[in-house]
Amino acid sequence: MTDWEKYQQIRREAAFTGLALLVLILFWCWAGFGLEGVEMEIFGLPLWAVTSSIGVWIFAIVLVKILLKFVFRDMPLNDEKEGVSHE
Amino acid sequence: MNNGGNLAALLPLVIFMAVMLGIGFYVRQMQARGFAKNFVQQYFIGNHDLGGFVLAMTTVATYSSVSSFVGGPGMAWQIGFGWIYMAVVQVTAIFLVLGIFGKRVALLSRKFDAVTVVDIIRERFQSDGLASLAAFIIVLFFCATMTAQFVGGAKLFAAVTGYSYEMGLLLFGLAVVVYTTVGGFRAVALTDTCCALLMMVGIVLLLYYVLSAGGGYSNLMANLHANHPEMFEPLSGGHMPVGLYLTQWILVGICTIALPQSVVRGISYKDTASLHRAMLIGTVVVGFMNIGINFTGILAHGVLTGDLASYGGVDNIIPRTIVTVMPQSLVGLAIIGPLAASISTISGLLIVASSAIIKDVYLHNQHKEGKEPGTKQLRLLSMLATAVIGVVVFVIALTPPNLIWIINMFAFGGLETAFFWMLLLGLFWRRANKLGAILSMGGGTVVYCLTQGMGVKVLGLHQITIGITASLLFFLLGTYLGKPQDERVLAEFFPTRRQ
Repeated sequence: MTDWEKYQQIRREAAFTGLALLVLILFWCWAGFGLEGVEMEIFGLPLWAVTSSIGVWIFAIVLVKILLKFVFRDMPLNDEKEGVSHE
Repeated sequence: MNNGGNLAALLPLVIFMAVMLGIGFYVRQMQARGFAKNFVQQYFIGNHDLGGFVLAMTTVATYSSVSSFVGGPGMAWQIGFGWIYMAVVQVTAIFLVLGIFGKRVALLSRKFDAVTVVDIIRERFQSDGLASLAAFIIVLFFCATMTAQFVGGAKLFAAVTGYSYEMGLLLFGLAVVVYTTVGGFRAVALTDTCCALLMMVGIVLLLYYVLSAGGGYSNLMANLHANHPEMFEPLSGGHMPVGLYLTQWILVGICTIALPQSVVRGISYKDTASLHRAMLIGTVVVGFMNIGINFTGILAHGVLTGDLASYGGVDNIIPRTIVTVMPQSLVGLAIIGPLAASISTISGLLIVASSAIIKDVYLHNQHKEGKEPGTKQLRLLSMLATAVIGVVVFVIALTPPNLIWIINMFAFGGLETAFFWMLLLGLFWRRANKLGAILSMGGGTVVYCLTQGMGVKVLGLHQITIGITASLLFFLLGTYLGKPQDERVLAEFFPTRRQ
């Protein structure tokens, strides 16, 4: 990978991470305020209390998994200048 | 108080601290060769060698402070599920910082042989003034934050064990200063990992005893439903305003990506596979901790059923819960969790503050004068800087002056205001320049501290909204007024297709 290719890939990853944040915020709004009125209980809790805590957590984990699978790529961190002495 | 201490509570803590110290000295032995070869790289960043698990744990542990374990769940006790709803925004913190800055910082640090975030800022904006300002802001705010962590931990220790505040401070305060000084960043990372694991154990332990003290889950829930129905509403009967949700997203969610103590972890890991693993593990762990401890706080309301005033404020809820529900012999184990949160934050800040003084100020000035300090001298000075900062903070924590609380109040949002746009725009926007960065960091931080100090609010929102907006406007203003950076510098940061 050239420096240019690495930078393009890093920008892409950063942009998609930002996009994941947006998606998570939307989900968060829906999972709490959106479901507040639903008359359903899980483990003795109103539905929103479950979806807005464990729900958001699991959703975030799934988002990260998706990012890692489809967007993030491995790349060498030490470029051809490797072996340059540090001191 | 001194004589009425609970000895059984002390023992686990003493063992815990001994293990932490042991790790510090062991790590130093292991790194002997690295210390001799390139001391600064090894001491301040662990020579780019962290794996995914340790990277995740050290990032989470540094980020989770004693207040996440004491003040936070105390609020949950009062507010109810709205507090978890708010706290859960922190699941974004780890994957955002590692996903956005992780690789960028890793590559740049290798290119410039950088070990601090300030190194990278200096290269990008070619300004020693800006770098010095950044180092100053880091040291000032970090010292205040560390003091607050010391005080929080020692207060908890005193409240739960019955021994004195000073003894608590001595016990865990000196240990953290010593192991950080001796072992450097690698010791910080490894002890952080132990701390993060112990925090999780502590949460599970406390949850278990709260459940059994309250007569089981359904009993506790029935009690809460009957007596505190507002705890099951997102706005908690008006205790939890919508504006607070919004500002928490900014303050403890999105803007935390710019905290130097988090970003510097992007320099420390081994390879991209480790980074990817850390994003996933970190998100799992930070979610578990935030939901677990705040859920425990809510359930504790079924055990501590008095009103808030009778317990003397939200900060006393968790200590009281521990004393009430845990058997005497296990109290020591229960406070290891919150103390681990406290010392892991202190160690992370301490090593970065020390690097700001040694690498960003001292070493830079030496190089400018054409001098290259010997490894022996560097080793001595670096350890001295770490120890001195640690001891100073420790002494301040013995009788914290009011000024410290004021600075601490500014610290979290101040660091975010100072670094957010500078790092985000500086590293991803070609046009960003020196004038913009200086105005943004200086002006934004001043605006933030002034509005917070005077209690000025817009729409009733936390001042971070003003700070971060002012910081952006200053940045854009400076960028369009000033000259672009030198092409030679830009070419290093923003490679072009043909090279």
